[in-house]
Amino acid sequence: MSPIAIIALIIGIPALIGLIYILITGSTGLRRFVITRIGLTLPMVFILATLVFFIMRVLPGDPVTSALGPKGTPEIIERIREQLGLNDPILVQYGNFLKDMITLNFGNSLTGGHRPIVDEMSERFPATLELVIPASFLALSLGVIGGAWAASRRKRATDYGMRVYSVVIYSLPIFWLGLMLQLLFGVWLNWLPISGRIDPVIGTTLDRTTNIYTIDSIISGNWLALGSTLAHLVLPTVTLGLILSGVFVRLTRINVIETQHADYISAARARGIRERVLTYKHALKNAMIPVITLIGLQVAILLAGAVLTETVFSWPGMGRYLVERISSRDYTAVQSGIAVFALLVAVISLAVDIIYSLVDPRVRY
Amino acid sequence: MKHNKLFSLLVLILLASMVLAACQPAATPTEAPPPETEEAVEPTEAPPEPEPTEVPPEPEPTEEPEPEPTEPPAEEKVTIIIGVTDRISSIDPADAYSTHDWELMKNMGEGLLKWAPGTAELTTGLAVDFPEISDDGLVYTFKLRPGITFADGLELTAPMYAEQLNRLLTIGPECPNGVADALATPYVASIEAPDDETIVFTLASPVGFFSQVLAGAPYLPAHPDIFSQEECVLFPEAPIYGVGPWFISQVNYDEQVVLEPNPFYEGEFTPQVDQVIIRYFADPQTMSLAVQNGEIDVAWRFLGPELISQLEEVAELTVGTVDAGPIRYLIINHTFPPMDDPNVYKAVAAAIDRDELSDVVYSGQAIPLYSQVPPGFLGASEAFDTLYASPDLDLANEFLSASGYTADNPLELELWYPPEHYGSETAAWMELIQQQVEATGAVNVTLQAQEWSTYVTALTGGESYPAGVLGWFFDYPDSSNYLDPFVFNGGLGTNVALAAEGSQYGEPINDTAAEMVELMAQADVETDVGAREALYQQAQDLYADLVVTIPLFIIAEHVTYGPSISGSDSYAAPEVLNIGPTMEFNYSTLTKSP
Repeated sequence: MSPIAIIALIIGIPALIGLIYILITGSTGLRRFVITRIGLTLPMVFILATLVFFIMRVLPGDPVTSALGPKGTPEIIERIREQLGLNDPILVQYGNFLKDMITLNFGNSLTGGHRPIVDEMSERFPATLELVIPASFLALSLGVIGGAWAASRRKRATDYGMRVYSVVIYSLPIFWLGLMLQLLFGVWLNWLPISGRIDPVIGTTLDRTTNIYTIDSIISGNWLALGSTLAHLVLPTVTLGLILSGVFVRLTRINVIETQHADYISAARARGIRERVLTYKHALKNAMIPVITLIGLQVAILLAGAVLTETVFSWPGMGRYLVERISSRDYTAVQSGIAVFALLVAVISLAVDIIYSLVDPRVRY
Repeated sequence: MKHNKLFSLLVLILLASMVLAACQPAATPTEAPPPETEEAVEPTEAPPEPEPTEVPPEPEPTEEPEPEPTEPPAEEKVTIIIGVTDRISSIDPADAYSTHDWELMKNMGEGLLKWAPGTAELTTGLAVDFPEISDDGLVYTFKLRPGITFADGLELTAPMYAEQLNRLLTIGPECPNGVADALATPYVASIEAPDDETIVFTLASPVGFFSQVLAGAPYLPAHPDIFSQEECVLFPEAPIYGVGPWFISQVNYDEQVVLEPNPFYEGEFTPQVDQVIIRYFADPQTMSLAVQNGEIDVAWRFLGPELISQLEEVAELTVGTVDAGPIRYLIINHTFPPMDDPNVYKAVAAAIDRDELSDVVYSGQAIPLYSQVPPGFLGASEAFDTLYASPDLDLANEFLSASGYTADNPLELELWYPPEHYGSETAAWMELIQQQVEATGAVNVTLQAQEWSTYVTALTGGESYPAGVLGWFFDYPDSSNYLDPFVFNGGLGTNVALAAEGSQYGEPINDTAAEMVELMAQADVETDVGAREALYQQAQDLYADLVVTIPLFIIAEHVTYGPSISGSDSYAAPEVLNIGPTMEFNYSTLTKSP
């Protein structure tokens, strides 16, 4: 079974169980909402993929001349275009693309090694997941705790400090922060590795099952590989997580402050409940609703937008893959990559909507 | 309520059946691997076995050659890690057509002829001696040295080699990277093996540089069980075996490739370490930091001029400059106004200051180029310096005024370039060229940028731009590869010999062009090295007079390595890890001290 299929199962089975639970126990409105959203996801992915298909072909340049450069004689270019089906009528190409997409085959890439797209995504997608998930947790933890902390000490030094932090960290260029961390912890202190996903030598001993190296090293009991993978994760995760945490700090802070003025908080305060309990137990939970919405949006952006972090740390993920393939006009790779992203974003936004209703019982669909 | 429960039950059944259905097909793919392993074992038995009757006692020993059982743990192996920003495109000899692919292939393979490390001197590889060449220059006969064995124990015979070489002529033209069309089918008519030790190449017409072509990666022996006769196999699954000093034991695309010593190798380049890992970087900056903090031992291609300057300041590192690399030049379209006027292209050739380009943009690390044939190649001259004393603004103005261009009546000239393909510094040196040409006072230069694939089609098509920038890196290290492509049959948009159907060289646009084409055609079939050298020198003089292209500079490659790494003193250029003008990086000459 390919790594991407294993990941699909790892994510898909719990998601499916959750979905079954909601469909059985949820209200009629929620069930209708979920089914409608699932029904809308497929046309959405289809429309997006179609748009990308035609836009890629409208753009100047093509994959064959781009790859061969001056050494590609007109005869060679023509022959290769013919082999790749680029001389077929556009509707025939579109039909082939749809067929490949429906069968989840995606075809072969048009540049580089002409490898099956499924194989390429099996290597790239897990790498992005392995980076984005811990970075999101870090951003969320820092953001929510920091935001709530700032709110609980409003107009004090801590509050001002957190506000400055959130603005500064959000406005830092990600490649600059990455480079500074590399120089400090990688070159000057020599504490942490600065590139790649695992030490090259230790990497030769790792059995890659899911291509998520932390999971693979745990499955195979390769603790050396686990240590190396975790060490390699630190700098890219911190870079991405810190940058993202700024917006969470600001959002959490403002929402906690607003919630602190709610009647039920005043009532609780009047009953003598301590301020810390009020902030972290009562106010924070209700302040989380917009934060949850933002998490959904940020994770979606992160999946494709981690490209700078991936480049700076030579992390072979999906963001870098898409950028490389767009510049070499690799139509099939770009179309397939974006279709998969669209599907994933649709699933995440559905999950966020469902969580939303669970966190806030007032939300009704 | 009842309705709700019924609905829930239906959904549950539906989802459960979906899960079961999803699980079922998974059984099919898991059945796939066993035939693959069978295939991998089977072929190693076949060739060395002359007696089929002895099949039963020896089915397993073929797996013994695998080096794994006696291997030390990975972390105890002496490993050299080489960083690159290249990518693998293919490692099929019938298809691969990029410098990095060839580097890997040459380290796991060996050809009949090869380049001596650190030099551009041909030496014997799998052949016991240099070829016997027939009087008409059409037949090349080689004798194989005995005991050539692939890394899985399969012995190479001449018929097997010939059969695999014939893939270049049969399936090669169908492969996507086009190497067979460039380096095999134009030259080779047939490849045969009359006996177990002899290989005979018959050429379509005499080729003076065929030995140089033969030393290239397309002519390496491909393992018959990995590279089939039916199709191009761009990325076979590891392990990938060749007859050279190394084999590829692992491939993780865009991450790393692991090479281990071929236990059966008996040639000259015995590996000095337990493994070599090629590590792929997305960003040269990260690669330069990685060599500084010791994550990699060697930083190879490509680090830009700024990073090289920074690394030269790091005390523990050695930065070696290889006097070879890709060249940059201007394509001059001789049929597109105003470049159809000899005075115009000669004026531009006289106005360009190559030293300034190198100093300002490349911190002096680019090597000024005064002929399309770089120094060190057969018959290389400095014809552009001789003719135009570049830069010479007075001379440039003489040419311009001869065509009526003055400060009051300036020439309007467009120069085109691709903004990203050759690095972001391209814009900087194009602006400098603009200033240099405009310094004549009689030219207004307009710079035009265009996206790469549109640009290269338009420029080399020879119908859209008067002049534009291109880069070149040789396919085989010979002067012909620096001259022929820019002259014959349209010449990549120079149009000095217009493309003509059925003609090998095209229709020269004037007498000088005709004379140059004639000289180059003679040189290409001349087998006497001295005579070829003289012909190429004459051709370069005419090339400069016609300004077929304007050669600008060589972007010298650099190799950066830590104190524990060294090249071999037994070969030339140990200070650059024995990388010579052929740009071949032989991993076997590397040693690593503790």
